[in-house]
Amino acid sequence: MTLKATWYENDNRFIPGHWQPAVLVDLALSRGIDSHRLLRGTGLFHEDLQAGKARLCAQQFLQLIDNSERLLAAADTRFLFGQRLLPGYYGAASHALQHAADLSQALDIVCRYRALISPLLSPRVLLDEQNVYVYWLDTCGAGAQQRFLVESAMTALLAMSRWLAGAPLPWKVSIAQTRPRQVEQYWVNLGEDVRFDAPVDLLSLPREYLHQPWPAAAPTAGQAAQQQSMQQLQELGFDASLLDHLYRHLLANLRHQPQLENVALAFGMSPSTLKRKLHRHGTHFQEQLDLARKHMALYLYQIKGQSNEEVAAYLQFHDSTNLRRSFKRWTGLAPSALRQLWPCD
Amino acid sequence: MTTLLKLHRLKLVVLLLATNLALLLHLAAGHIKPMSEWVWLDILGEGGSTLLCLTWLGLVLKSRPAGRVTSFLAMGLGLVFFSWWVDTLDEFIRLPDSIVWDHWMESAPMPFGLLLLTLGIYHWHREQLAISAQMEKRERLFREHRLFDSLTPLNTAEYLRQHLDQALCQARSAQQPLSLVILDLDNFSRINHLHGHAEGDRVLQALSQLLVLNLRHQDLLCRLAGDRFVVMLPHTGERQAQQLAEDLRLSVEHFAHKARAHGERLQLRASVACVMALQDDAESLLQRLNQALAHAKPALYARSA
Repeated sequence: MTLKATWYENDNRFIPGHWQPAVLVDLALSRGIDSHRLLRGTGLFHEDLQAGKARLCAQQFLQLIDNSERLLAAADTRFLFGQRLLPGYYGAASHALQHAADLSQALDIVCRYRALISPLLSPRVLLDEQNVYVYWLDTCGAGAQQRFLVESAMTALLAMSRWLAGAPLPWKVSIAQTRPRQVEQYWVNLGEDVRFDAPVDLLSLPREYLHQPWPAAAPTAGQAAQQQSMQQLQELGFDASLLDHLYRHLLANLRHQPQLENVALAFGMSPSTLKRKLHRHGTHFQEQLDLARKHMALYLYQIKGQSNEEVAAYLQFHDSTNLRRSFKRWTGLAPSALRQLWPCD
Repeated sequence: MTTLLKLHRLKLVVLLLATNLALLLHLAAGHIKPMSEWVWLDILGEGGSTLLCLTWLGLVLKSRPAGRVTSFLAMGLGLVFFSWWVDTLDEFIRLPDSIVWDHWMESAPMPFGLLLLTLGIYHWHREQLAISAQMEKRERLFREHRLFDSLTPLNTAEYLRQHLDQALCQARSAQQPLSLVILDLDNFSRINHLHGHAEGDRVLQALSQLLVLNLRHQDLLCRLAGDRFVVMLPHTGERQAQQLAEDLRLSVEHFAHKARAHGERLQLRASVACVMALQDDAESLLQRLNQALAHAKPALYARSA
């Protein structure tokens, strides 16, 4: 049984060159970078981007990011890129964002039309009683570029909500790396409330800001733009990447101890095909499974407030000692240290 | 490359003719040595020097604006190159002993070349002093071009950090106070949104000039990140620093920047804060400064519903 692929992989050419890639190209050109050197190795020409004809695959976009970082050689490239990303000029999806009624709707749009708005990074939104949380998943094997992508996505969401809400929102920022030397870039671009050495890259905000009305809201125009975006997704034939689908599948099936074989079956391919595809994305099955388990464990500990035994039972660990060991491997922290350093608020 | 040829055509033509002439004269008067007589060490030493000298000449012409100092340097290097070139030719072409002009060709240009080079370097030194005076308030103690800001004619946070380490030591040993002022534009992203990022860049460039004008000669201005600037004030206590911060804030508020597109005036506002160094190192001092700014910023957060 083979299904028509309903996802994209890192060699599908579908990202319009004059959308997100153009934001980065324009930034680099405004800093005096030569367009030929900027596009070297991407197989692209500036004229094609300008003509609106070029379609990039994820690999080409990642190469472009790598070139820009190297040529600009500045600590602020990812933040400047992020500030210009959203709502952006990506056709109907950008219109829908511009006319969003509030943050809740804007997040919904960013998630639903992620293949159009954020093709390299899939945003995920979580809610508990107090807060809304946003984190991102690598969709196409970004490798070394993942930090660039995540930090620019954070900057983009902060900058967009600040612009559309008419004032900055008190986002809290967690960064999953040690405090970098250029910490001032984080202060200026992500606000004073940045914490480093976090178990996962995360934004959080008190829930009451979700439904605070935004001044530029235009419900009818927004609805129409969403319809158009939906149509675009249908024409593309997918709304998310392979890794994105895999993550969701794993997350939903963690209680059933997912294995390469049965997951491949669910995706309508042989285990060796899935293995090969994951390899092409710079990852492997166990890594993806560990990622899903890490996120689920964090969710159960932090948001559900569950005990070691409950989490171990959910994730099908024999005992909590094994879980603690694995958790430490995934996050660098023991569950007890996690509760101390990152208390649920 | 084309501008290089256009600016220095005469110099390069003369050099080319002279090298060719020397080669032709040698070929006409002498005969080529067989390979068995070649002395590889001499060829490597003299030929290598000749090539290096040509590289220096190229780099000097390429990197310096045309002018008097550049001409001195180019002529000096040109003569040195010529003299080494003739020296190298000797290794391949044997001239009869009766000929003496080759010694002249080899030895005479060298002292003149070195004299001109010395003159050029001396004036280069004078020129550098003049440029350094222009860099006043934007650079102190040391220069590192890799730490230049890519947008404004200022240094980056990394330069500030390295400089601060030295300045804090000096201040401590001289028992002098040292203060920092931080300045951050209010609602800068609005300018980017309404007038475009290129206009935002121009605002930052203009602002860096404006802030320099308001400083004393011993102060140092750097761009921390984005629209945030830091001034280091040696020999300055907290009170005086506050006064200076207030001066900067007012100058930003009264600054009538005009957008390029329609000449519209952009109203700018800034928040300022200052701290005096106590027992801090550079890192903790910057952290404290940033916290002071966060307190000084007007409560901007949108009200929750």
